[in-house]
Amino acid sequence: MIALYLVAAIAVFAAIRVIIEKNTARKLPYTNVMNFAVAGALVLLLDHPLSIVAAAAYFVGSTLEANAIASTYAGGMKR
Amino acid sequence: MIVALEVAFGLVALLGAVSTALIRDSYGKVISLGILVAGIVPFIVDRGYLDVAIAVSLIAPVATIFVLMVVRREQA
Amino acid sequence: MNATLVLGLAVLVIGVLGVAFVRPKTYVARLINLEIPAWGLLLVMLAYDEALALLTFVAVTAISTFVIVRLMEWRDASC
Repeated sequence: MIALYLVAAIAVFAAIRVIIEKNTARKLPYTNVMNFAVAGALVLLLDHPLSIVAAAAYFVGSTLEANAIASTYAGGMKR
Repeated sequence: MIVALEVAFGLVALLGAVSTALIRDSYGKVISLGILVAGIVPFIVDRGYLDVAIAVSLIAPVATIFVLMVVRREQA
Repeated sequence: MNATLVLGLAVLVIGVLGVAFVRPKTYVARLINLEIPAWGLLLVMLAYDEALALLTFVAVTAISTFVIVRLMEWRDASC
């Protein structure tokens, strides 16, 4: 039970840290920290066999989203 | 859910919504939208709708990538 | 009053005010702010246990976002 509180505290801290940051390129690592913390909270929250699939789907989706934002901000693919 | 966890993830969702409405930069708006989704998904999982949580987790990045197509054209 | 219903209504009101009084008056900022009330309405539907409504609403929101993006690219290239 202590792991769930720790992960929720990390998620709140990382969310506040993302919002008060001014530089856009420096927001993205804290966004990744918050996404990993929420993925850990999802797998600890409910005792069900399908819960690990939901956590894995959220992990893949949020990592894809953060990498798409970072790639577009850095200039994207040069065609 | 435990009350402390409801307060924590509700705070994350409210911070994401307020910062998405107030930030003027487009990339900052998209990043704050990710924070809003991260605050909402634990509420869906807690009610037991795991299939809805899987669908939301896989469809929300696709919508963000659609928005990024316009943002790249605006900023360039 | 359930906590999910209260949070959903709060996010819905914040999103509607954000869409109505958008600060940089561009189409892109209004489209990004339009995503906020969709998530608030999703939480309100979650509070009333409508599983089929949740699944169809998420899919229709993504499709309508894609349609508006294609419309903005077709209407004017400068947005």
